[in-house]
Amino acid sequence: MGSSIVRALDGVDLAIREGEFVSITGASGSGKSTLMHLLGCLDRPTSGLYEFDGRLVHKMSDRQLAAIRNRAIGFVFQTFNLINRTSALDNVTVPLIYGRKTNTRAAAMEALRRVGLAERARHKPSELSGGERQRVAIARAIVNNPRIIFADEPTGNLDSRTGRQILQVFHALHAGGVTVILVTHEMDVAVQAQRLIRMKDGKILEDRVVDDALRGEMEAADERFQLPQAMARG
Amino acid sequence: MFSIRICFMAIRGLLANLLRSLLATLGVIIGVSAVVSAMSILEGANRDILRRFESMGADQIIVMNGSSQRQSRQAVLPSLTEDDATALQSCSLVAAVAPEVQASTQIKYFNRNMGVTVLGTTEAYAGINNYNTREGRFLTAEEVRAERKVCVLGHKVAEELFGETTAVGRRVKINAMPFTVVGVMEKKGVLGFRDVDNQVVVPITTAMKRMFGMRNVMMITAQARSRDVLEAAIQQVKRTLRAEHGIRAGSDDDFLVFTQEQFKAQLADVTKIFTVVLGSIAGISLVVGGIGIMNIMLVSVTERTREIGVRIAVGATGWNILVQFLIEACIISVLGGALGILLGLLFADFLENFTGVLKTYTPASSIYLALIMATVVGILSGIYPAYRASRLDPVEALRYE
Repeated sequence: MGSSIVRALDGVDLAIREGEFVSITGASGSGKSTLMHLLGCLDRPTSGLYEFDGRLVHKMSDRQLAAIRNRAIGFVFQTFNLINRTSALDNVTVPLIYGRKTNTRAAAMEALRRVGLAERARHKPSELSGGERQRVAIARAIVNNPRIIFADEPTGNLDSRTGRQILQVFHALHAGGVTVILVTHEMDVAVQAQRLIRMKDGKILEDRVVDDALRGEMEAADERFQLPQAMARG
Repeated sequence: MFSIRICFMAIRGLLANLLRSLLATLGVIIGVSAVVSAMSILEGANRDILRRFESMGADQIIVMNGSSQRQSRQAVLPSLTEDDATALQSCSLVAAVAPEVQASTQIKYFNRNMGVTVLGTTEAYAGINNYNTREGRFLTAEEVRAERKVCVLGHKVAEELFGETTAVGRRVKINAMPFTVVGVMEKKGVLGFRDVDNQVVVPITTAMKRMFGMRNVMMITAQARSRDVLEAAIQQVKRTLRAEHGIRAGSDDDFLVFTQEQFKAQLADVTKIFTVVLGSIAGISLVVGGIGIMNIMLVSVTERTREIGVRIAVGATGWNILVQFLIEACIISVLGGALGILLGLLFADFLENFTGVLKTYTPASSIYLALIMATVVGILSGIYPAYRASRLDPVEALRYE
């Protein structure tokens, strides 16, 4: 990653460095998901530049994008997005297959071990709890040892206790040198990161370091923040 | 390696939806089983008939009653007589001639009786057909000329009536008329279209005049001097018979002439027609089967939109997705093909055992053909759904509810 320069959305100018833990927050329609899709190489900007690891993404072919997603990027989704008819282990194996890796079983087991789910490898997603499913999804995201993880509302479908456990996994990954980008509209989740980017109408409203002052401010404004968000979610 | 893993992935997906996969491929199952069983029956019948043709010599010329004019709607009166046979005997290219009549009747020896085919012919019959006695002797020219009441028993008839004891010299009743057994034929099975083991041979004169009151012979077998002169011999036979029957130049023959080769060629024609008909039915059922698979694949692509989105997100290319769905369609189709082959074989086997008359034979080529067709159907019906899956936008797909 070195110093990736990102220009996306409506005049968005953003650089994320390797090893950062960034959260992107904002209301629905603020452009945070689109930003994540662009950063995650799922989409190409219609105009503007995106440089990933020194390479210009908007000029890449679909095949090259797929290779980057496979090797350098891991995705974690709000609804886990596991393939329900196969086991946890098989789900984790999928990126390895597309990466044409050999010895996939051992690598997939290792990834499950890292998220503390090795003993549940044979279970199908329907036999796992929400937190366990999200761990499987994280294992799938990290199995190719990516340098950056995108998490789109990873705690959105979990109760707060399980959500905290999942966030602990991200903290551990970050401590291991992985860049983590967390997309969320929950401020208490967002302030877990080192850096917070607040979006509105496709523009960056605020880009700041998360410090104790912000955390205090957030706690004070808790009610003010949570209420409109809950309404917006319907 | 990669495609093998995709295969495993596809098989696991299909097993999770086993019933649906089976229903999707039902058209292929039925189509393939119909083709395999029908081809087995056709090929079995074909081989059975060929075997019978081959039991007659390649140098034989068969003359039968009937008109060569196919359009003729009038019933053709039998025209062949014993005199025709005598006339053919004087043909230079004909080595031997055997006229035949036949009828079904009862043979009786004391309290034992059985239904048999009585064949009236001459002393030349055994030699032409290379069919010999195992006991006693065959008919003589003298017996034929004098309308003697003597008979030669087929292998099975002798066993049935006399068992281990000797038959030669005994007196039996055929059609309530006393005959003396002069010989027993060797075991032969089929000869031409008859089961000759279940046949009793008597002089043709006796059969026509004394037993059944016939005026015409049913068939004349003429043997050419050699295979090399077969064509010339046929022409000679035709000329002789036309002269015998007083047919003027320009009129049609009132008899039919066949050789083994011609029989085989006709059989091949008939087989070809059946094959084309079967092929069309197979084609239609496979198109229907393909539509069934295409339908279920489209449903599957829609259902698994999110899964496809995830696969793309973790690094699958459009090509990977295309291949995966194509393989799935092929597996469904080939699975149907394999089940269809199995079902077809079982059905053919059942028909053979149940009817006891039909002979079936499944050519290996029909099985290869069925598998190849199933694969082609799979690919053709999978292309469009797989293409749709491969062109999904990952962002849209991940958002799909």
